[in-house]
Amino acid sequence: MEKIKITICTGTACYVLGGAALLELEDFLPDELKFKVEVVGSACLGMCKNALPDSKPPFVKVDNEVIHSATVQKIISYISQR
Amino acid sequence: MNEASLFFEVDYYQINKSGMSVAGDVFLSTRSDDGSIVTVLADGLGSGIKANVLATLTAKMASVFVLNSMDIRKSAEIIIDTLPVCSERKIGYSTFTVARIEPDGNVHIIEYDNPGFIFLSTSGAKKINCERIDIKSSPVKKNFINYYTLRLERGDRLVFFSDGVTQAGMGCASTPLGWGSFNTCGYIENLVKTDPGIGAGKLSRSVVSQALAHDIYKAHDDITCEVICCREPRKLLLVTGPSMHPEKDREMSERIRDFKGCRIICGGTTSQIVSRELEMDVEVDISKISKDIPPKSIIKGIDLVTEGILTLCRIAELLESGKFRNSDEANAATEAIAIMMNNDIIYFLVGTRINEAHQDPSMPREIEIRRNIIKKIIYNLENKYLKKTELQFI
Repeated sequence: MEKIKITICTGTACYVLGGAALLELEDFLPDELKFKVEVVGSACLGMCKNALPDSKPPFVKVDNEVIHSATVQKIISYISQR
Repeated sequence: MNEASLFFEVDYYQINKSGMSVAGDVFLSTRSDDGSIVTVLADGLGSGIKANVLATLTAKMASVFVLNSMDIRKSAEIIIDTLPVCSERKIGYSTFTVARIEPDGNVHIIEYDNPGFIFLSTSGAKKINCERIDIKSSPVKKNFINYYTLRLERGDRLVFFSDGVTQAGMGCASTPLGWGSFNTCGYIENLVKTDPGIGAGKLSRSVVSQALAHDIYKAHDDITCEVICCREPRKLLLVTGPSMHPEKDREMSERIRDFKGCRIICGGTTSQIVSRELEMDVEVDISKISKDIPPKSIIKGIDLVTEGILTLCRIAELLESGKFRNSDEANAATEAIAIMMNNDIIYFLVGTRINEAHQDPSMPREIEIRRNIIKKIIYNLENKYLKKTELQFI
């Protein structure tokens, strides 16, 4: 099975608004998800500049879907529902 | 020899006496208007705060006097008369070594009761004759100052240390009278023989670590070592921030590609521009995570690629406080500083486009305008670390 690719933006805006904590995502993944995902960092994804008023950093991409105001919980529940 | 290509790299390393929160040894370095470098290593009587006050006073006075070319004898007498008298020992006393290095390589050294400095040429340690100058004697002892003049050429080094180095390990079976000047000199000669390119930072750190080992990892005195290396200047290019004019992206990337020396890129957008223009992959390395500083990235052939403003802010802070020397902090900012310290001339190429995402009021207040941070970094590199810098906006 192909792994789900989680791309965490490490640009400055995302990093200071909570992205720093997301880099430890792998440590918080429940066992059943651990082998199904691949976590990578990325330079600024550019989403902060074109963001809609209600979408805020930190941004994370799960495959090609964008999650805004991302938290570890939010990402986990998003991938669990897929 | 082309004198313009002589560069004097100055660095030091220090460990406090075990249990002391401040050192009684003080190191100062300054560059005068005519380009001369003045360094002072002073060791105050006793240890802790009292010693630190004595040594700080001495170091500051000595450097100001030498910068103003005051007569040596007169300066030494003023220093000795000014020092506060210790309530227990009834004397006011601090040893010192002052070195003035002129841009053409001529060096004048004044040494008062510190262990003798070591002059290392490419062929090994060399003895330098001194002139002994009699100064006003105290009731307890006769006072002499040693005065040396010498000339530094490329590849030469000067090593100064406090008695914490020569007396390390005193009382131990293997070194009953301490490590001693002779053995210390042998150790330094060996280090340079095995690593002829060793810089001032690494050399001073090695000497202090070795002295600490002789003290069985519990320093019995403040241990300080200062090194001056005369060498061909090492060059570093630090590029940060995208240009106001996207048509300059190519120029900026080519400057990085063609630069002969170390290269650092600070900035996510900047690294993406370089990656695009030079068709090189950029990859974020999340194997090491630090709490405050975003992870570094990797572009093949570039020494270091980091995030921009947060990393630069941290670099500015650490250079200002000097705390990177004795800290365990390890992140992109400390890596950048290590590279800076190992280079002599640092070129800054700074883009001035404003990052709109940083204008959000919910961002931390510490996030400053790039140009201001660069200004702070340059100020400290020039004045505190005696580096040469050049700044260009793109």
